[in-house]
Amino acid sequence: MSLSIRHLSFSYNERELLNNFSLEVASGQTMAIVGPSGSGKSTLLRLTAGLLVARQGEILINGINVSATPTHLRSVGLVFQDNQLFTHLNVFNNVAFGLKMAHQSRSAIAARCEELLNLVGLTEHSQQSVSTLSGGQAKRVALARALAPKPQVLLLDEPLTGLDDELHDRLATDLRQILQTSKTTALLVTHDLAEARTIADAITHIQ
Amino acid sequence: MSKLWTRLASAPALVVVAVSTAIPLLAISIQHIASVDIFAVWQRPGVAEALFFSLWQGMLSTVLTLAFGLFPTWVLARYQFAGRSILVALVTVPFVLPTIAVGAAFLAVLPTSLHRTTWAILLAHIFFNISVVVRTVGPLWRSVDQGLIESAQTLGASPAQVYRHLLLPIARPAIISAGSLIFVMCFTSYGIIRILGGPGLATLDIEIYRRAVQLGDISGATVLGITQTFCIACAFAWWSRSQGAQFSKIGDRNSARALNRSSRIIVFLTAAAFTAPLGALIFSSLHTRDSWSLTGWKVLFGLQDIRGLDIDLPSSLATSLVYALAATAIAVPVGMAATAFARRHWIHTAVVLPLSTSPVVLGLAILITYDRAPFDFRSSRLLIPLVHAAIALPFVMRATIAIGNVIPSDLRHAAATLGASPWRRWLNIDLPLLRPALATGVAFSLAMSLGEFGATSFLTRRDSSTLPISIANLFSRAGDIPRSTGMAAATLLIFITGLLVVSVDRRSYS
Repeated sequence: MSLSIRHLSFSYNERELLNNFSLEVASGQTMAIVGPSGSGKSTLLRLTAGLLVARQGEILINGINVSATPTHLRSVGLVFQDNQLFTHLNVFNNVAFGLKMAHQSRSAIAARCEELLNLVGLTEHSQQSVSTLSGGQAKRVALARALAPKPQVLLLDEPLTGLDDELHDRLATDLRQILQTSKTTALLVTHDLAEARTIADAITHIQ
Repeated sequence: MSKLWTRLASAPALVVVAVSTAIPLLAISIQHIASVDIFAVWQRPGVAEALFFSLWQGMLSTVLTLAFGLFPTWVLARYQFAGRSILVALVTVPFVLPTIAVGAAFLAVLPTSLHRTTWAILLAHIFFNISVVVRTVGPLWRSVDQGLIESAQTLGASPAQVYRHLLLPIARPAIISAGSLIFVMCFTSYGIIRILGGPGLATLDIEIYRRAVQLGDISGATVLGITQTFCIACAFAWWSRSQGAQFSKIGDRNSARALNRSSRIIVFLTAAAFTAPLGALIFSSLHTRDSWSLTGWKVLFGLQDIRGLDIDLPSSLATSLVYALAATAIAVPVGMAATAFARRHWIHTAVVLPLSTSPVVLGLAILITYDRAPFDFRSSRLLIPLVHAAIALPFVMRATIAIGNVIPSDLRHAAATLGASPWRRWLNIDLPLLRPALATGVAFSLAMSLGEFGATSFLTRRDSSTLPISIANLFSRAGDIPRSTGMAAATLLIFITGLLVVSVDRRSYS
């Protein structure tokens, strides 16, 4: 599933955050966008997810223009910088959330959750409350949750920010492997060039 | 603060609760329960029906209030728009309005075919109690991080699925809490049902009043009163268990948004639903026999006499205001002293006792207990303000505790190092910071007393009727003039109460 962003412009409070921005991500590829704070990286992800509406330009997933498609019908997964895990649900139910929204059968949900929890190494924590997870575990749950409904495009917003050095490096390697295993088209934004080099196949800079 | 001071400070609150609630309830339990065949009481005509009606209308009112209340709650919690504070006031003030006046407003707004029907009662209960949903669930939804909602959307959740799978589960403890409080309010509904109820539409409170006052069946009324107190205690136990909704687990990164199409519709419908009864009430107070007329208002202020209408309304209005001021003068200092000095949990629990009893049962218990020597207080002018103060006390204490708990103790420590005695610390540090609690306490005490109807209907005397009692009397008379006078009196009562609450407690609406 390819992602094409064409001539995207967006301004907020009369401040232009993106001006005529274009980008192509090939199917199964991970593209990193590197830039300083305030350069519009997170805004680009929110526009791609449909959480914000662009002033002009279009977003195409696999050649289909989704610019006017509501977020919940866009098939775009988003890993938030601060995870945004549902604290009223345990690990399993967080991962299962998107599958339930798609009205999948119980057995299909159980099988997919098991597969993803295995992929992120959290099988033993499936019944644990997400409030009790460590920073690294919470990040893995957020990743598994976003991957579970098999989104056409996965968006990662500074996914490794706030982790200690050792965990950061280990998770960056794991993330690369998980994305390759799942063959997901992904768009990653980060301010850390080294992190981008570890995880992504291609890098674009944004000012 | 020494132990002696702590005890002295909490003593007045305990005396008020003991005299107005604990002693009368204990006395009627001991006097009547042992000597009455409880099963025979339940077989008396109308008794089982009243319990059944109280239960099912209470449950249905609760479900409908939650169903209709969650929509405006969401919009008021998450959107910013012109007139929002007015809508908040419109939605939340009815809870402190006199029930008898709310009943009159629904009599005015509903078509005659709906008068004396269950529908009228249910609609009035929804109007009256939506405030509980807005005040309980609203703060929780206001604190839900927008990122959580966006996260659900990116996982494929439609707006309805976000509501069902995310927002409702998050608000569940607050919804249960609001639901149990609404159930108690509807289960013990008295003023609204006295005005809007009819044959077969009697709650336990109405049946208690009928047995005690009309049939002279004191033992039967007592058994019903104790049963009702037990039911309320169960609902309150559930309510207190569901307290402490999970604010701490939820982020606070949230910005108020502009209205979209569906929220604009909700705002319009809510504003219409809450202004219509009040508008109709004012209209009816100015209308007699299909024409405009000021007769109702003239009779209310004693400017016109109506032959046969032996209700002294100016005197009722004066009595209501005097009682409200006296009740406030008791409840506010007593409640603030008890919370400021006595930080013991059991004292706070004891003071909530009047809330866990229906005012009608309270009135009955006081009527029986203080009607004979050595406690013949029934003729005392202080008795009604004392009961009103006891009912207002938990609200005063709750407001004081909420603000008192967030005053940093280091402020007091700093004052102590500067030579302030415990009394000076309270006077110069606590009291100025507790001023908002004082304002809320005053507003609630005045409003509670002005509108109190259940207990007062047992304790009032012919020469000292309050305005709510006079309004009920007016609606029990046939004819256009008593009706428009009743509507005028209800309008005045709503106006005074609403103005008091909004002006004194205005920071809540800003």
